[in-house]
Amino acid sequence: MPIFDQGYQHWNGEMRGLTWRWLAITQHGVRAGLQNRYVRMLLLAAWSPALALAAMLSIWGLLERKSDLIKPIIQSLAFLSRQMIASPKDYRLQVWTLSYDYFLLIELRLSMLLILLIGPNLISQDVRLNALPLYFSRPLRRLDYFLGKLGIITTFLAMVIVAPCIIAYVLGLLCSLDITIVRDTWRLLVSSVAYGLIVSISAGLLVLALSSLSRNSRYIALFWLGIWIVSGLTAASLEEAYSKQIARESYRAAEMEPPQHHLIRLMGSSQVNDFEQRMLEAQAHDWRPLISYIDNLSRLRQALLGSNQAWESLAKLHPIPDRSRFLLMFRGPSYPWYWSAFVLLGLFGLSACVLHFQVKSLDRLK
Amino acid sequence: MQTLFQLDDITKSYGAVTALNQLTLTVPIGAVGLLGPNGSGKTTMIRTLLGLIPVNQGTGQVLGLDIATEQLEIRRRIGFAPEEECLFPQVDGVGFVTYAGELVGMSHKDALQRSHEVLDYVGLGEARYRKVESYSTGMKQRLKLASAIVHDPKLLILDEPTNGMDPAGRDDILELARDLSHNKGMSLLFSSHLLPDVEAVCEHIVVLGAGKLLTQGRIEELKQAHGQWYDVRLKADPSMFADRLRSLGCTIDLRDDVLRVKLPENESQQMIWKLAAQQREQIRYLRPQRSTLEEVFLHALEKP
Repeated sequence: MPIFDQGYQHWNGEMRGLTWRWLAITQHGVRAGLQNRYVRMLLLAAWSPALALAAMLSIWGLLERKSDLIKPIIQSLAFLSRQMIASPKDYRLQVWTLSYDYFLLIELRLSMLLILLIGPNLISQDVRLNALPLYFSRPLRRLDYFLGKLGIITTFLAMVIVAPCIIAYVLGLLCSLDITIVRDTWRLLVSSVAYGLIVSISAGLLVLALSSLSRNSRYIALFWLGIWIVSGLTAASLEEAYSKQIARESYRAAEMEPPQHHLIRLMGSSQVNDFEQRMLEAQAHDWRPLISYIDNLSRLRQALLGSNQAWESLAKLHPIPDRSRFLLMFRGPSYPWYWSAFVLLGLFGLSACVLHFQVKSLDRLK
Repeated sequence: MQTLFQLDDITKSYGAVTALNQLTLTVPIGAVGLLGPNGSGKTTMIRTLLGLIPVNQGTGQVLGLDIATEQLEIRRRIGFAPEEECLFPQVDGVGFVTYAGELVGMSHKDALQRSHEVLDYVGLGEARYRKVESYSTGMKQRLKLASAIVHDPKLLILDEPTNGMDPAGRDDILELARDLSHNKGMSLLFSSHLLPDVEAVCEHIVVLGAGKLLTQGRIEELKQAHGQWYDVRLKADPSMFADRLRSLGCTIDLRDDVLRVKLPENESQQMIWKLAAQQREQIRYLRPQRSTLEEVFLHALEKP
């Protein structure tokens, strides 16, 4: 019998402690994920906005130092107000905040795509190939299994959110050669890392819960798209309808009959001002963005970074009549951030319940 | 006698169904066959030993560790190959076994080195870099065995390891199980419906029925000699010889060409030799009658 040629040797090596057992699942999942070329391409694509962020922070640093290197591109910064160009240090926090805000806005979309590629298979594939007995017959708890799987999502999202934030921060710091940047902006770095963790845990647990619901990962991918895109479209439609309702109220306040179409385009200047004021007031207690999953994550991002305050600060560079329009164009929703936190917490609890009931130990397995 | 595991008054119910019913047993180290009809509680007992399911009552120890409080330590010392086909997805043979080792707590380097060793041992050295999804049933069984022994467990549990396998593959698995348990000092719990498989590998059996222990012991002892009963095979037609034995007070049961003879009290097998000499019959074999494992098993099931 050739199969005994090598013989069997006993093994007396060291075992790792039980605390980090979940790490094996994460390491294995990340290695498997990186074998997917679409994942690798998406990771590369997700680093492009990071380059833009690093470039913006570096340019601002050079502008603050009034470096000669900035002269060739100073013309391309004409879209900024003269006041900002003249005294860039005064607007450092706002520029850094909004640069991070835009970067994280784009990365959120890319993260959703990354989760779409990685997430659906995480548990459903184990259920489909009956791998759960292989996990649970080893010294692993269900918590270790979930932590390991969540770690896969967290690692990938850290690659596209947390790591670029830190690298761009260091580059911006090096280009400005001004240590006071740390004093002014350390909160941004902490907020970005915290935001990355919030997205990882919230979206990771949600996709894990979805992944446990079916053996077919295509259904889960569709479900994920539904949560991401359909909830976003629904919220956007409701917000659009709400803005039209406010526009009609502006017409009625001016004792005019609102037109059937082009409500906002046909407004006179006084009505526009009234409409903008009403919209800004409405945004402070508009619940409609809560329907959208990524709008909730965005609201937390704005609250963590303080981007609404940054926009309000920049609005002061505009004449008073234009400020409302400026804020309406750029500032995000201003309803209390903890509304979104409650929605995300609710989804977190729901996901945890689904996982608890769907992924039992071998007690319920065949 | 060193104890492999012991269960004391274990009861496990799934709703109205009682899978284990006040099960109490002590099993010595070595190769142990776990027998029982479908629904007898074999799989539930294995899960109880692994600490995978909470029991309704009772206590137990595996390798000296408490099944209620030291489940993770028990699972670290046990290798388990489940009955069902189960795979870690998207890996080759080496990746599969390495991952199994890492899950138990081995470092990646140790697990990788060890996976090459055990894959060679189970005869999958040539296929180690093939995706496991492309393996045949026999190869998957050997892969499961390799992943169960990668960390060199003290106890190996094989749940129906030869199910659905061709004869050659079955022989390979049985030989591996026998080699591990008899030559490598690894205790074995071998659950199977196939009595010849259990007999080929194990020296001790536990028979369960309806969640209770029906019988247990060393196979050689259970297949005990039946007092005055002997099996006799002759070269010629045995019918005349059978008639002569009856006339001397023996009870005869003719099975094909084998005479099953019960001698009268106070007689020994010399009586048969003498009669054969007188009758000029050639005896091909004469041996005390022993139960087969199948008879032991069926007898255990018939017990009230």
